[in-house]
Amino acid sequence: MLNEERVILMTHMASYEKGEGRKNMKIANYFRGDYVTVQVLKSIVCATICYAAFFALYIFYDFEGFMQDLYKIDLFAFAKNVLRYYVIVVAVYAILTYFVSTYHYVKARKSLKVYYYNLKKLGALYNEERNESLSVGGHK
Amino acid sequence: MTELLEIRDKIKHFYSKYEVFILPIIKLLLAFLVLNVLNSKMGYMTKLDNMAIVLIVALMCSFLPNGSIILFGVLFSLLHMYALSLEAAAVGLCVYMVVLLLVFRLGASDTILVVITPLLCSMKIPYVIPVLAGLFCTPSSALPVGCGVLVYYLLRTTVASSSAINVMEDTEFSAKLRILIDGIIRDKALLVTIAAFAITIFVVYMIRRMSIDYAWSIAIVAGAMVDVVILLIGDLMYDINISLGGALLGSILAVLIAAVADFFARGLDYRRTEKVQFEDDEYYYYVKAVPKMTFVTPERTVKKINRSRYGRSEVRRVVADNPATDLEEQELDSELEELF
Repeated sequence: MLNEERVILMTHMASYEKGEGRKNMKIANYFRGDYVTVQVLKSIVCATICYAAFFALYIFYDFEGFMQDLYKIDLFAFAKNVLRYYVIVVAVYAILTYFVSTYHYVKARKSLKVYYYNLKKLGALYNEERNESLSVGGHK
Repeated sequence: MTELLEIRDKIKHFYSKYEVFILPIIKLLLAFLVLNVLNSKMGYMTKLDNMAIVLIVALMCSFLPNGSIILFGVLFSLLHMYALSLEAAAVGLCVYMVVLLLVFRLGASDTILVVITPLLCSMKIPYVIPVLAGLFCTPSSALPVGCGVLVYYLLRTTVASSSAINVMEDTEFSAKLRILIDGIIRDKALLVTIAAFAITIFVVYMIRRMSIDYAWSIAIVAGAMVDVVILLIGDLMYDINISLGGALLGSILAVLIAAVADFFARGLDYRRTEKVQFEDDEYYYYVKAVPKMTFVTPERTVKKINRSRYGRSEVRRVVADNPATDLEEQELDSELEELF
């Protein structure tokens, strides 16, 4: 027989599994430290690619001037400057990623806690129903 | 009002019944609009400016995830920029890389706003975006909206500089880059618009979450006003030439569209607000319950009355919501009793 409460619970859970839950389960497969580290590493790679692209734009923005000054400027100091800005950009983005991914992880775990609680409740509903049907069968 | 509620319920019923077909159609229309606007505004690559290609891509987007509209939008605009000049494509690629690799990586929600924002900006109705985003999304939607504004200014600068770029020699790549980069960076309107939209989203979100009557309506009006005020302050500070009439008209339109959206999404009846208090072992609860405006369709019920004890039966149609029919029924009953 259909149990309305169980059907509602299952619908909510199925909708969660299909949408937000899928993402959260992927996140919860990691330990917190591992997840945050992976995200920070990915962010470092992305920030490096973007920095390289913008550095190229910066060079080509005034390419003639850069080529004229190339022999005059202190290349070591220039490279040091470029590296310093790179470290600043990457560090700021990595720190931002650290906080954002920690927040995502905590949120995902919290959301999955509710999901697992509902899963337990569903199991209890099934058990209850099975016991009821057994007791009815026993009386017969 | 009841007619409006009836229409709303019918639309909701229609949507829930045909959601499987309506959602792909909406995605198809959005993709079609985005690609068509790109082709009409830019259209440097003549091969892409073809209705058949646009339709095929829009059809593909209709059954692919939302991200596909963003992907094809980026692809189309980059190809148009490439047809204009390699430098334009390089600048475009850098901007898209920042948007896709840096901003979206931080888990921005409602990424589709990055496509809808430039679309509405090009249709001259941008003010509706921050109000609707504040109402229906979270403050993090300021990220895709801000990126959308950036993309709009990138495309606008490219189109505005196209005639200058076209007359330049191929060897003048630095000059071409300078025109585009300066056009984007030195346009203070970009920063002012991003700031205005982000603050509006935040204000609308904060007010609509308040526990006050008509919170959503107040949020809509306050958001529109904040948007106009920030744009005007930006105009005064940086002389960005924002049309006051356009901003006011756009904001009024935004208020109207947001009010309609609010009516369809929620439609609360604050006159019947109930405030209840109760407690359990751990908390004391102060609950404010605002009922939704509902419309009950009058149902016609057929009541069968078998009067076998009188040796006859009859079926009478009774309109349930009309109290007069009960009186008529009683009169008829008494007449029948007198007869038999």
